[in-house]
Amino acid sequence: MQMILPKDWKGPAALIASMVVLGIIFAVLNPRFGSIENFRNILFQVAVPLIIIVGTTFVIQLGSIDLSVQGVMGAAGMAWILLSANTRLETDYGIWAWVIAIGIGLALGLLAGALHSLIKVPSFVVTLGTWYMGLGIGIILYGDEMLPSLKSSVLLAWPTQLTLGLPNAFWLAAVILVCGNLISRYTHFGRGVLAIGNSETIANNTGMPVNTIKMIAFTLAGGLSAIAGILATMQLGAGSPDLGSGQLFTVIPAAVIGGTALSGGEGGIMRSAIGVFLLIILNNGLVLAGVNPAYQSGVFGAILIAAIVVVARPDRGILKIAK
Amino acid sequence: MTIVPPIVLKLNNISRAFGHISAVKSISLEISRGEVIGLVGENGAGKSTLLKILSGVEQPDEGTIEINGVTVAFRSPNDAVRAGVGVVHQEQSLFTNLTVAENLDQRNAGRIGIKNWARVNSECVAALKKIDVNLDPTARVSDLSFVDRQMVEIARAVSIDPNVTGTPLIILDEPTAVLEQTETAVLEREILKLRDIASVIFVSHRLDEIMRICDRVVVMRSGKIVSDKKTSEVTKDNLFRDMAGGISQTAHVDRLRTPAVAEPAVEVRGLTRKGKFKNISFSARPGQIVAFVGSNASGRGALARTLFGAETYDSGTIEVKGKAVSRWSIRKAVQAGLAYIPAERKVEGMIAGLSATRNIALVHQGEAAVGPFLKLSKLAQTAQSWFDRLDVRPNTISRPLINFSGGNQQKVVLAKWLNSPHINVLLLDHPLRGLDVGAAQTVDAQITKACESGAAVILIPDTIEEALEMADEIIVMRDGEISARHDMHSKRNLTVQDIVADMV
Repeated sequence: MQMILPKDWKGPAALIASMVVLGIIFAVLNPRFGSIENFRNILFQVAVPLIIIVGTTFVIQLGSIDLSVQGVMGAAGMAWILLSANTRLETDYGIWAWVIAIGIGLALGLLAGALHSLIKVPSFVVTLGTWYMGLGIGIILYGDEMLPSLKSSVLLAWPTQLTLGLPNAFWLAAVILVCGNLISRYTHFGRGVLAIGNSETIANNTGMPVNTIKMIAFTLAGGLSAIAGILATMQLGAGSPDLGSGQLFTVIPAAVIGGTALSGGEGGIMRSAIGVFLLIILNNGLVLAGVNPAYQSGVFGAILIAAIVVVARPDRGILKIAK
Repeated sequence: MTIVPPIVLKLNNISRAFGHISAVKSISLEISRGEVIGLVGENGAGKSTLLKILSGVEQPDEGTIEINGVTVAFRSPNDAVRAGVGVVHQEQSLFTNLTVAENLDQRNAGRIGIKNWARVNSECVAALKKIDVNLDPTARVSDLSFVDRQMVEIARAVSIDPNVTGTPLIILDEPTAVLEQTETAVLEREILKLRDIASVIFVSHRLDEIMRICDRVVVMRSGKIVSDKKTSEVTKDNLFRDMAGGISQTAHVDRLRTPAVAEPAVEVRGLTRKGKFKNISFSARPGQIVAFVGSNASGRGALARTLFGAETYDSGTIEVKGKAVSRWSIRKAVQAGLAYIPAERKVEGMIAGLSATRNIALVHQGEAAVGPFLKLSKLAQTAQSWFDRLDVRPNTISRPLINFSGGNQQKVVLAKWLNSPHINVLLLDHPLRGLDVGAAQTVDAQITKACESGAAVILIPDTIEEALEMADEIIVMRDGEISARHDMHSKRNLTVQDIVADMV
């Protein structure tokens, strides 16, 4: 039980509290914010970044970073839609579309993980490379023909359809989130990630398979980005190499806001997920509050900083180093 | 008929060279079951390399290792663990972000599958029980005290593999270097208990400790074993002579302890920081050494940091050279002529990746500063003069500081402050931590010299003996408050026991 309720619950509690405060303010500004439709809308929007953040959290816990998210999403999304029933090609590979699309994500992740762990190339550089490789694959698949749209009305409707009152897109994300959390807490891989993030030297000296763990983390992150790319394609109904646009700078700040230190070894998947919710709610609330679109970015940034300052207040000492 | 205990470890002609420098030269050594061996030698004598070979981090170029009668070849630390060799490293090697139980769970280190928390936790309880230590298996290591962490390390070393049939060999690499007197006593007791279940190699720079707990003392110098005798057959001076290569330990020169008359360099009244220390008042005059003695939790470390402006205080006053300070900060402290040697040298005292030259120039650049520019030749000149004066080895000032041994690093850290034209107050938090006898003497001599040239020294010593030897006044702290003061000019025959009584 102790592992389910983390001992350091204070950070997440403060985050949830600030989320509630924001929610109340937004609901006062526009009653529609608190409506059930908007609630479902938020869950719909939150699904894609929630899937990505499971992988992102593992990688950041290692003390590494994965920048390839948007590229992998583009490649996997385009591959998936061209292999499923679509308006451009007369192909429908059914389940194989999924296998190949996710396979592309896993392969790009494995490539990044192998280069990073075996050849010791900084993850920042490697994943910047795989980002553009993924984007390149997406652009080639897109070609200069007409935009491929999904034909299957079942697939088109699936993300927004409600199961037990909540959209399917969110359920998919929730299942992945729970699995990720279980992996993090109950496998030697998950604990190994935290150990390596704390000290790679010690991890090596205790005989931990450090390189394998790193490669698994990056491969997992690639696969999850691919699933996110497929879901985003389904939500959009059409393929686009840059449908992941903006996701990278949703998930990385979300992980950091949730308390996953970029130096590694800290934080958790559930906490990162709270960070995602905070960002999406903020975005959604500003739109509904009728903030002039020209001011939205600026206000978003200001509120974000204010929320973090309040949340992080307790653990600041004179010599606390923040990077 | 006496039963000869079986041999647990046998080394035959072990050699290891790095490039053309040989670190260990044909070492042969036998250790029997239940024996506690003291391994001593100055920094660079080859102890570390020998331990690395024993723990599977390095492989020997020549020679064989036999454990419990079986010849072994360790290709990784894991192999050593499986053969029954447990190591407690000099630098703690625990994952501070994980729990005690997870840190002890090394049997599964090579796996990536499902973790059985119930078993991990129950095995941890068993391992802790084996060495008779009471800790919460689910506590996060970063929340534990230093001595508790050391206990976890020992539990891990002892708990190796239940499948190992022979006697485990436990290697303790300077486990007491970072501990306080009272904690050291606890640890020594634990080591003696290990005798029943293991053989122990104990490495320490503190010869008193070696003499107290070891059955046999092995001295290394320049990669060779130069002496291997029963503890009852050696004296501290013998050992020192063997370590240093013939030179006897120079008797400690008593510093001229004249009651200082000048105005205090630093005066503190009623200083309080909630939860750390309460109502601390004292003063230190130029040329005086005031030592603060107490346990890790006594608040003396926090007090030193507060005096240096690294932590804030809630009430009370600090006066430097008769002037009360306000909005105290490290920057102001340095400008007022305070210098601080932190206990955590590697983390707080030096910039590991920078060269020794740059480290020395961190605080004061002196003549090397020309407007916003630095005159590199002048920097090098300054560094070289400090290297010569403090006998820093190897004598290459451009080498990154991380590549020096601990003692030589500390000399450079000290030089960084001594480079200042005027030091009013020298705050020293465990200045001799982890230093061998030779380096400790050099550092001691520099402290005394700074003192004689008009600095007030506030010392947090490693041991009470150190305080008795050096201080003009000893202030004992307990639970954040001053529990006793001893003026060393009036109380000449104070003993360690007297002071320990004030501490607890």
